[in-house]
Amino acid sequence: MFLRMLRGALIRHRGGRAMIALTTALGACVATAMLGVAFDVGDKVSQELSTYGANIVVQPKGAAVLDDVYGLADAATTGGPALQEAEVANIKTIFWAFNITQFAPFLEVAAQVGASGEASMADAAPVTVVGSWFAHQLALPTGEHVSAGLIELRAWWEVAGGWIADGDVGLAMVGSKLAQERGLGLGDWLALTGPAGQAVDVQVAGLYTAGGDEDGQVLVPLAVAQQLAGRPGEVDRVEVAALTTPDNDLARRAAQNPGALTVSEWETWYCTAYASSIAYQIEEVMTDAVAKPVREVTEAQGTILTKTGMIMILVTLLSLLASALGVANLVTASVMERAPQIGLMKAVGAPDGAVVRLILAEMAVIGLAGGVVGFGLGLGAAQVVGFAVFGGAITPRPVVAALVALLVVLVMVGGSLPAIRLLVRLRPAEVLHGR
Amino acid sequence: MAARNVTSGDNHQVANHTMARRMVLASLTRRRSRVLIAVAAVAIGATALGGLATIAADIPRHLSRELREVGANLVVSPAGDQPGLADTTLQQVDQALAGRQVVAQAAFRYQTVRLANQSYLAAGADLNQVQQAKGYWAVQGEWPAGPGQVLLGTDVAAWAGAEVGQNVTVSLPVGQEGAADEAAPQAVYTVSGIVTAGGAEDEMVVLWADDLAALAGPGPWDVAEYSVASESKDLAAIAQAISQAVPQVQAEPVQRLARSEADVLAMLRTLLALVATLVLALTMIGVSTTMVAVVTERRVEIALRKALGADQAVINREFVTEALVLGLVGGLAGVGLGYAFAWGVGQAVFHRSVQMPWWVALATVAVAIAVTRLGVIVPLRRTAQIDPALQLREE
Repeated sequence: MFLRMLRGALIRHRGGRAMIALTTALGACVATAMLGVAFDVGDKVSQELSTYGANIVVQPKGAAVLDDVYGLADAATTGGPALQEAEVANIKTIFWAFNITQFAPFLEVAAQVGASGEASMADAAPVTVVGSWFAHQLALPTGEHVSAGLIELRAWWEVAGGWIADGDVGLAMVGSKLAQERGLGLGDWLALTGPAGQAVDVQVAGLYTAGGDEDGQVLVPLAVAQQLAGRPGEVDRVEVAALTTPDNDLARRAAQNPGALTVSEWETWYCTAYASSIAYQIEEVMTDAVAKPVREVTEAQGTILTKTGMIMILVTLLSLLASALGVANLVTASVMERAPQIGLMKAVGAPDGAVVRLILAEMAVIGLAGGVVGFGLGLGAAQVVGFAVFGGAITPRPVVAALVALLVVLVMVGGSLPAIRLLVRLRPAEVLHGR
Repeated sequence: MAARNVTSGDNHQVANHTMARRMVLASLTRRRSRVLIAVAAVAIGATALGGLATIAADIPRHLSRELREVGANLVVSPAGDQPGLADTTLQQVDQALAGRQVVAQAAFRYQTVRLANQSYLAAGADLNQVQQAKGYWAVQGEWPAGPGQVLLGTDVAAWAGAEVGQNVTVSLPVGQEGAADEAAPQAVYTVSGIVTAGGAEDEMVVLWADDLAALAGPGPWDVAEYSVASESKDLAAIAQAISQAVPQVQAEPVQRLARSEADVLAMLRTLLALVATLVLALTMIGVSTTMVAVVTERRVEIALRKALGADQAVINREFVTEALVLGLVGGLAGVGLGYAFAWGVGQAVFHRSVQMPWWVALATVAVAIAVTRLGVIVPLRRTAQIDPALQLREE
């Protein structure tokens, strides 16, 4: 009897029930998509941030980097300590190798620049020539092949002409400011003379605008800079872009002195992708290297990450609340519509318990159907959001399914309760009269 | 409807209008629970729309402010032929920046000094300003409170073996202009803190500008940093305006995170728009279902009016008016609740209050009304299907 009534209720009021199921599905869809996105947003934002610039800089121990600031000393001319180019690939072998999105080595050399064929103007100020990788192919010990270099690490540069390749030893790229000062254009030939007299002729194949000091430099493949500087196999800086976790108290203490941590704290720190632990691991795989998180970048990244994360959580809560209220609203409305039928049930002597059971069972069936459909749609919607907003897939997580199921149950029961209370109080004579 | 066309049509029309108004009012007040449900549905949608739109409109301001506390985004240096930045020049730059919200600014003067027999760069500045402008510096110990106290870069401290609280002797390099050959000017400072920045500052001695002037004599500033609260796309224009207004300087935006900041904001905005759209769809279904239920309840009444000669247009107008009133009330409620939500987010995330732009409030109400209007399309079709003869058969 109960089953027949349930079936009757579901089939006869098909339109209304379908509407609730549809709304439930839509609500579950919103919930699934938002929860899925909320769990993933940290990773995605972090990825987005790491496409713009390095947040860890590796330098040789004891290097004088005074020329970093305002060109005080030309450190490039002195044969100071250096990093080995052969060791740069080791960065991709550390514990957090997967989080290292890009890196490139740099070698700077102060060189005289003159138009090819003329004697270089002795009185013109030397120009910083930077050697680096562009899209260097690396074979890792794991058998993987990765590409590392400036094309990815300086993705925001505006380049006219085009990037050059690592093998193009006769080509160079020139910063827009320098090109303007010296009247250089694409296709011009430059004669570069290193500090010890080594000379190289290169052709300008690209002009770039970086918005900084780099606009006044010449960019060549690393091998060319090494030849100019007379320092084969050496580099003096490696810039690394890594996905990092915002610093917390542990990371701050570790950054001051990793030795002061307890064993378990040290393990937690080592196995979390803090900028400081990644830097520490890079120091482990390169000889005489000092890796430092660029705090200006990591702090800003941390700010953006924590703030957007919090906004996402609150927005997710709002959307969950809104869809829950919307669905509960409908459930209430549709249960109230059943007044005449319930009146009849009560008139022929149905106890309150039977009425409550019938309605809850009905809602359970509708909720299940709507929830399952909505969850499926939500998984799809999350992917759409992922590709539209973040340009990447959203990882489906089991916890999302559990949360959505819980929400649907809460909303269906919560939405039915006020209506059930009303129906239980219903006087059959009044409803059946139709007023 | 025939009544409208008789000679004294004006009176009849007034009567018609009064009647229509009374009917809408009665229908709204008498079916209070239904109306409440419908208004609630509209209000939920409007809350989501208003709240999310306010956040989307106001986030960039707050996020960029928050980022400016981390680091500067505009660097002013002397133009090519200038020896440095004079105080008067910086005042001109301040004037050029008038009207912009400058979160922090600091001017630096650099000087090579010797400490523990090594050469380092010393940066002289108003350290109170520096503390504001260099939010990303991690200082172990304290920021210098007064003259005689200095900050050491972490590398300097390591090489010199200096610790917080110790005294260090700083001298000008021998052979420096203005310094006697045998006895270079020197001064003793207390190390109040050790700074880690992950950049050039790690190898610097940071001290008060007055202390540096006492040691090395007066001199102009070398560079000034500004943190201007503005979206990154405006920054290049600001920099250009400064360079034009003050010919002695060259202003350049700091590119580092500018682009990614803009990209993340765009990401967040798209997401908020998607959520608002989905919640609005839910709202529309809610309104539609509720109004269908209202039509079902009132079918006898509608049938009676049809039997008495009311045509479909009159009935439609009544339902549409009802929907507009619902949309207006729900929309207004949504503006209030949405503002409350956005305010809460502002407090929780940025510890600042947010402002709802007037156009967001206006758009929220407008969209709420539009969505409600769309929601009554199905109910209107239902009223058209009511056949008075069938409906009134039993009465």
